[in-house]
Amino acid sequence: MGVDLPMPSVRPPDISVGPVSAHAPKPIKVVLNWGRRYSLWVFNFGLACCAIEFIAASMGRHDFMRLGVIPFAPGPRQADLMVVSGTVTDKMAPAIRRLYDQMPEPKYVISFGACSNSGGPYWDSYSVTKGVDQIIPVDVYVPGCPPRPEALLHGIIRLQEQIASERVSAQRITGRYAGSRVGSAGDVRRPLLRRGAPAGRETPTTRIPQAGDGGDR
Amino acid sequence: MKVTDVRDVPFGEWSSTVLALREDGYAFFDFLTAVDQTDADADPGFDVVCHLIDPSHPSGAAGLRSVLLRTRAVDGVAVPSLTPIFSGAAWHERETHEMFGLDFDGFDDGTGRGLRPLLLPEGFEGTPLRKSFVLAARASKPWPGGKEPGEGHESARAPGRRRVQAPGVPGPDWGPREPSSSRAVAEEST
Repeated sequence: MGVDLPMPSVRPPDISVGPVSAHAPKPIKVVLNWGRRYSLWVFNFGLACCAIEFIAASMGRHDFMRLGVIPFAPGPRQADLMVVSGTVTDKMAPAIRRLYDQMPEPKYVISFGACSNSGGPYWDSYSVTKGVDQIIPVDVYVPGCPPRPEALLHGIIRLQEQIASERVSAQRITGRYAGSRVGSAGDVRRPLLRRGAPAGRETPTTRIPQAGDGGDR
Repeated sequence: MKVTDVRDVPFGEWSSTVLALREDGYAFFDFLTAVDQTDADADPGFDVVCHLIDPSHPSGAAGLRSVLLRTRAVDGVAVPSLTPIFSGAAWHERETHEMFGLDFDGFDDGTGRGLRPLLLPEGFEGTPLRKSFVLAARASKPWPGGKEPGEGHESARAPGRRRVQAPGVPGPDWGPREPSSSRAVAEEST
């Protein structure tokens, strides 16, 4: 019955936004951030009743498409923003981690509701993860049990403010990972800290050869 | 559906009673679970509970007739499996096995792999629905809010230091606690 699907390896994060974007002049960065800010393809990880509020926020009355949030990306590989709405259990946690790893950089996470923020009312259950930030980095936490759709709209606006003021660079993206959490099996295949390795020396991280690595030698 | 017919059967007649009820028309197996009664005064153990419905007798507003069977199993003694009678009992018995640690004698779901975990994540240790299972997160994880009603308020009407003594809540001797509650424990002891 077991289906063996290997953990997909992900492109190094600093390639996906373009290696020269770190050196772009400031007006260009403003334009790049502006474009990223208003076309957030969102991937809803609906796990419990908060997902209903998320759906309400995507429908006609609240209509988060007017903020540039495009719902129902075909899959995590096309998404920029993941909204984790609902109770994260220890059994579901590896799936969340895996789908997060499949999203291309730069990627953002909104934790929606008390359960995914901290475990919520199920905090001392044997099966509930004590907050989704134990497995993936979270940008915006939306409190409430469940939060109203307006709260999600506010969280999206806060995230867009963050995006507008950020500098997307290799340092910034790798900084989100380095030191902030313990590496997992997925990280070993994913070269997080490849900068600064002198030629001829291998980084401590195990690297798996990938397409386009030819110029590295 | 309101269950009105509750029958307690001796442990030895568990599977024969279920078989007789199935022949009697109670052919729909609804659920099987257990109740931790290890702290009962008389005859401690586990109540194994099984709900059967008779789908062939629609009886108007009262709904279908059903029966709730109950037996008391001593901890450590394997319960006769119902899978030879109702194949659908396999998931319920696997769940009861992983949640309560009860063994089922003669369990057969056609795979030959026996009682294996159904719902719990891989590597989970313990039987979480037993009353003796301690919710260790209370002692080991910091929590920003109040754990008990009234905690975290500056009100004089707060119930104060009365601790919940529900099964599974770890006692004050458990693990590292955050400074505020360990101070409360120290005040209590002086």
